[in-house]
Amino acid sequence: MKREHPDSGGSGSGGDFSEPAAASANGKNKCMEEPPDAGMDELLATLGYKVRSSEMADVAQKLEQLEMAMGGICGGGGGGLGFCGGDEGVVSHLAMDTVHYNPSDLSTWLESMLSELNAPPLPPPSAASTASNLPPPPPTEILLDDPLAPAESSTVTTVDFSHNRHGHQIYTSCPSDYELKAIPGRIVYGSDDSGPDKKRVKPSKPSSATTVDLPAASSSSSTSRPVVLVDSQETGIRLVHTLMACAEAVQQENLKAADALVKQISLLAASQGGPMRKVATYFGDALARRIYRRIYPSEDLSLDWAFSDALQMHFYETCPYLKFAHFTANQAILEAFAGHSRVHVIDFGMKQGMQWPALMQALALRPGGPPSFRLTGIGPPQPDNSDALQQVGWKLAQLAETIHVEFEYRGFVASSLADLEPYMLDVRPSEVESVAVNSVFELHRLLARPGAIDKVLNTVKALKPKIFTVVEQEANHNSPVFVERFNESLHYYSTMFDSIEGCGGVAASGGGSLSPGSNSQDQVMTEVYLGQQIYNVVACEGADRVERHETLAQWRDRLGSAGYAPVHLGSNAFKQASMLLALFAGGDGYRVEENDGCLMLGWHTRPLITTSAWQIGQTRTSDDEPPISGLTRPESDSP
Amino acid sequence: MQTNKEEKNKNSNKKKKKRKEENPHLGFTINDNPDLLMEVLHRLDGRSLGVAACVCKLWNSVCTTDSVWEALCNRHVGRMDGCDDGGRSAVVAAMGGYKRLYTVCIRPVRTRLGNRAGWTRDEIQLSLSLFSIDCYERLNGLGSGSVEPPSSLAFLREPVNVR
Repeated sequence: MKREHPDSGGSGSGGDFSEPAAASANGKNKCMEEPPDAGMDELLATLGYKVRSSEMADVAQKLEQLEMAMGGICGGGGGGLGFCGGDEGVVSHLAMDTVHYNPSDLSTWLESMLSELNAPPLPPPSAASTASNLPPPPPTEILLDDPLAPAESSTVTTVDFSHNRHGHQIYTSCPSDYELKAIPGRIVYGSDDSGPDKKRVKPSKPSSATTVDLPAASSSSSTSRPVVLVDSQETGIRLVHTLMACAEAVQQENLKAADALVKQISLLAASQGGPMRKVATYFGDALARRIYRRIYPSEDLSLDWAFSDALQMHFYETCPYLKFAHFTANQAILEAFAGHSRVHVIDFGMKQGMQWPALMQALALRPGGPPSFRLTGIGPPQPDNSDALQQVGWKLAQLAETIHVEFEYRGFVASSLADLEPYMLDVRPSEVESVAVNSVFELHRLLARPGAIDKVLNTVKALKPKIFTVVEQEANHNSPVFVERFNESLHYYSTMFDSIEGCGGVAASGGGSLSPGSNSQDQVMTEVYLGQQIYNVVACEGADRVERHETLAQWRDRLGSAGYAPVHLGSNAFKQASMLLALFAGGDGYRVEENDGCLMLGWHTRPLITTSAWQIGQTRTSDDEPPISGLTRPESDSP
Repeated sequence: MQTNKEEKNKNSNKKKKKRKEENPHLGFTINDNPDLLMEVLHRLDGRSLGVAACVCKLWNSVCTTDSVWEALCNRHVGRMDGCDDGGRSAVVAAMGGYKRLYTVCIRPVRTRLGNRAGWTRDEIQLSLSLFSIDCYERLNGLGSGSVEPPSSLAFLREPVNVR
């Protein structure tokens, strides 16, 4: 995986743990096979284990023994909840003392483990019978489920993520050729912690502990416990390679190969966890849609708009990107409007108007009192002919009335921004009224049709705005080469999904006054929102492909050559943005960067969205200097 | 909570009466001087105000007046760059009042950003921006009609590990 990020590290190291736990999970659990035709052998082989189907029962039994051996030690702590806090010293002792050979050959490895650990006398008959009552797992399928989902039913094995991450230290001394980083053992028995204790503690541990362990374990074995034996890093890398190979195949029109690869993608994706799995699923789907384009009808964009409005609200609520965009753009607009008594804002993408309450409030509280505020909202036609724009206008008018700001609103329906003409917007002369134009994630859509962007930029120039704020995604998803586009967007959306996991995850656990379900629902809807974008970038072409994101450098060029000069966003915007991000749960992952006057919000090292501000550049009278945007223009002072 | 308050109320009233009966010369009780009480409460911090609101009905009524919370919010701010305090009061009052501003925005913001002694202008501005969004949602029945409260500020409501 190109992206190095805590999650994979976390799940990697979290799973870096005990084989016995993982393996015993394999044994105890009724393993479910994915596709009916894949033999157990093959499937485990993909994951790095070599087990013959015929030996499965035997392996399973040995695993149980191992489990019992280890469970007995740890069991002392709290009955069914078997994990004691892993004793660091003991763990490392086992790690150093034991030698594992070829752990991928499960059966021999198990034998060596058992002999090593000097399996205690078999637990009392009741426990033993419980254990043996477990029907030998038939060669059934492995349930490749989301390994990060805790095992719901089992008490013993219930995930204590921190313990497992701790416990994983046991096996860090595995032979270097074999990197078992099983998916976090949080899903399986935490009894890995107990293993090392075995050496120190007398084997004659009260087997009551094991008795407690086992029934719980056995009772839950009948319900499907989500377990994955996976070398997650390896599969992760394989997944990425498969995705890229599939994209190559699609580009070369090798549809048969692409088809096969898509199927493999879904299989591999299922073995991953968390954001990687979701991203891979979306991209796999998108590739499938592209391959079978004839079967999937070209998307009805108007339906998309209404739906995507609602989805964008979830995106707004879950993560800070839109809020960041709004707050920074507002700051720029506020500064540009300083001292003006009549102001007019034109919003290219009105949606729910969430950007404007904050601006109105800031205008209301500015020294000298609020100006007269006029807002023109532009939006796409709604499929059900409801006048959404007008409704938003009413709501904003209500707020304006509350805070005593003189407010005027006009909604304007246009299916594309290129349809706008300056006269339509009824802009009053600039001595009377100052204009600001705001575009959040709207400009890139214009790149789908030739000439549209230039027309719009000219229209905006004709409006003579004091400031033109632009917020766009920071990525190049508009390359004519499909594979490049694919790889770029894979990287970009992986980072995006990671960041959502960062802030969504905490939300799901907290809940506050909202039901816990609604928080994760927000997250899901946010992912759907991003998924729509992924589908568009990968599966669509031509005029349908509207998500044509470009980088800041590209926008700079474009706007510069269209006659705009950059306006530096001041430190106020930067401070507000940083503060805003600190409020978010995953706050430490977000980074605000200043890039030559523009602000970029990113996740760890990767910038994801950029806010920039522009004004009409003065006439170029540069003699020798080429009209490089931004470098020769005088910049306005930000107060 | 309600029963507690009522009980406390009854108890304190009883005690007051008793004390007055026993010591007719103990002329001064704070509850007889709500203005003075107001002055004192003006100087409390947020949590103390919350506690004070639970003492008795009188205290509760004083603590729920917005001016006390306004004093709290304005205390460390001083004059914000010539911003008109009167104007600000009007706006905040219109948007839902200082008490709500404090509980919904300022307190979570401060907690998450680390409770420093003074409030910076940026914190206030950020809080006000968030508050305006909250007000917008509430005004438009995004919250009132439906079961769930307005959720744009949901991220502020969730428990967060403050570093």
